[in-house]
Amino acid sequence: MATGNKQIDALARQFLKLSLVEGSVSPEHVTGVLAYVEKHRPPHAAAVLKAYRRLIAAEIARGQAVVEHAGPIDPGVLSAIAATMTTRYRRPVTSIARRNDALLAGLRVRVGDDVYESSVAGQLGALADAV
Amino acid sequence: MSTVLEQIEQQIARLSTKAVRKNTGTIRAVADGVAKIEGLSDVMYNEMVQFPAGAIGIALNLEEDEVGCVVLGDISTLKEGDEVQTTGRLLSVPVGRALLGRTVDALGNPVDGKGPIAAKENYPVEKIAPGIIVRQSVSQPLFTGIMAIDSMIPIGRGQRELIIGDRGTGKTTIAIDTIINQAKINKVGLASGDPKFRPVYSIYVAVGQKNSNIVRTLVALEAAGALEYTIIVAAPAADNPANQYLAPYSGAAMGEWFMENGMDALIVYDDLSKHAVAYRQISLILKRPSGREAYPGDVFYLHSRLLERAARLEGKGSLTALPIIETLAGDVSAYIPTNVISITDGQIFLETDLFNQGIRPAVSVGLSVSRVGSAAQIKATKQVGGKLKGELAQFRELAAFAQFGSDLDAKTKAQLDRGSRIVELFKQPAFNPIPIELQVAVLFAMQKGFFESVDVKKIVAAAQSLKEFFATRKDALLAEIRNRAALDQDLETKLQAACAEWKGAFTA
Ligand SMILES: Nc1ncnc2c1ncn2[C@@H]1O[C@H](COP(=O)(O)OP(=O)(O)OP(=O)(O)O)[C@@H](O)[C@H]1O
Ligand SMILES: [Mg+2]
Repeated sequence: MATGNKQIDALARQFLKLSLVEGSVSPEHVTGVLAYVEKHRPPHAAAVLKAYRRLIAAEIARGQAVVEHAGPIDPGVLSAIAATMTTRYRRPVTSIARRNDALLAGLRVRVGDDVYESSVAGQLGALADAV
Repeated sequence: MSTVLEQIEQQIARLSTKAVRKNTGTIRAVADGVAKIEGLSDVMYNEMVQFPAGAIGIALNLEEDEVGCVVLGDISTLKEGDEVQTTGRLLSVPVGRALLGRTVDALGNPVDGKGPIAAKENYPVEKIAPGIIVRQSVSQPLFTGIMAIDSMIPIGRGQRELIIGDRGTGKTTIAIDTIINQAKINKVGLASGDPKFRPVYSIYVAVGQKNSNIVRTLVALEAAGALEYTIIVAAPAADNPANQYLAPYSGAAMGEWFMENGMDALIVYDDLSKHAVAYRQISLILKRPSGREAYPGDVFYLHSRLLERAARLEGKGSLTALPIIETLAGDVSAYIPTNVISITDGQIFLETDLFNQGIRPAVSVGLSVSRVGSAAQIKATKQVGGKLKGELAQFRELAAFAQFGSDLDAKTKAQLDRGSRIVELFKQPAFNPIPIELQVAVLFAMQKGFFESVDVKKIVAAAQSLKEFFATRKDALLAEIRNRAALDQDLETKLQAACAEWKGAFTA
């Protein structure tokens, strides 16, 4: 989210642009940006870095399918999800698994700010909303 | 066989575990009824969003990486980091006959403690106003029951007539009188069984008013038996600005249902000044650039898109709007008044001076106009009251002159005399609308000089006595005027005779 200070936001966004290689975040470039900030100390460096962190986090989330699951999960499922999301969003999407027993059963996949819900907990919630 | 069943069952299982896609965001900040949300990349403008505790919001500001939402409902349950979901729906409210007689909030939820509302349909709160093709010109009257208005500033169905004036000049009273009058006409018309009779249903939208005022209105409507034809949408001053901002649009949606289903409706927005203030508050919190009087740039659009929804539709019904604007010290050139004046089809201007002089309703004849309504005025009113507006305007001018000298010629004196009688005649207590046929009778008596020998101070009493005489003794004649809506030779003779009969019995 924007901090409301235009200069800080603009600088953070510029850093973000510098950190991307072919649409995904490059760790080397991020290190480069951090080194630059360390050396030149732009005004409000801490605020700029905070905004920059949020932008990078959002960017990483866009390229990563976080698969929440209850119980064991097959690596084949993970790679299938990554492939499906890559075609759906037309950008490289990798997938990582995260255990969440509160789901009861099924999966919840989060890519950026989209959530795909097929967990039993989610269905029960939807059912509760509908009645 | 069992394999077939298995196959079907598998298919069902696959269907029921089908993933649902939701677009989400995270609350970053909540302040003054507005939530700033990160994410929600798919949200549409004006879309409803769902907060975790059941509160809903409307996305009003879509920016590159954040969304500004106004929150409807309890904001105290929200906190930073909460997940918000898009719903894919625009905000809508229940509509239909089931709402008649009820008081609801800006979202259409009942607040009158009379139980749930069994509405079958919902209409979106924001809707594009009817276009040019489907509109019909205004040609059917909508009687307010206020003599000064029905005879000089007539209103037609589908018209938008602004009621404007300072604080406490009787703006609300005029609107309530009009609603009461519709109820009275509805009762007579529906009882008559005339298939061509078109009842008018009313919607009263109270924005930013004190609860005590809303209750007063409610009680007045109930006492007059008008509540059963009325929906009250209440967004009182203590309500959050988002609800105050939405209430007029919700009311308009309820009115549109009547219009779309071939019925006529009347909607009162009381008042749009407070509505603009609520919108200004939201806009300032959303950090939209502010312009004149700190209102945002689109405050004109705020009211134009609302008032454009009033219309008379080809082959359907109509929605008549009576927006109310409060002025400060009679200043109609302030930002919001000029805006709304330019969108409406005329205005009823109420003056503090007149009100304080006891001339109530305090309608300023010179400054009030109705740009389309005269096409809808019935012939009988035109016959007896056609010249009144000019005469009264002239009277005001002469009265100003008369202050300077006492040696006036006989003609001027006669004009002044007549003018002051007309002013007296138009005085009318609150919540006491007069049926149009009775108005015709009173104005006929005026036109034919039946009040000339009455002392000016006693005109009010004389007019009251004449009304009572007609109401109690000349029912048939009144019904005839109502049904024919024009005075022919025969009716005029009868009216003349009736007036003479009254005059004979009246002792001032
Ligand atoms: N025709 C009338 N005859 C006598 N009293 C009246 C008349 N019209 C209004 N009043 C009285 O004047 C007072 C103010 O009326 P009303 O509330 O309608 O004004 P308003 O312009 O809506 O006020 P506000 O600015 O507070 O909304 C009320 O007490 C009402 O009873
Ligand atoms: Mg009022």
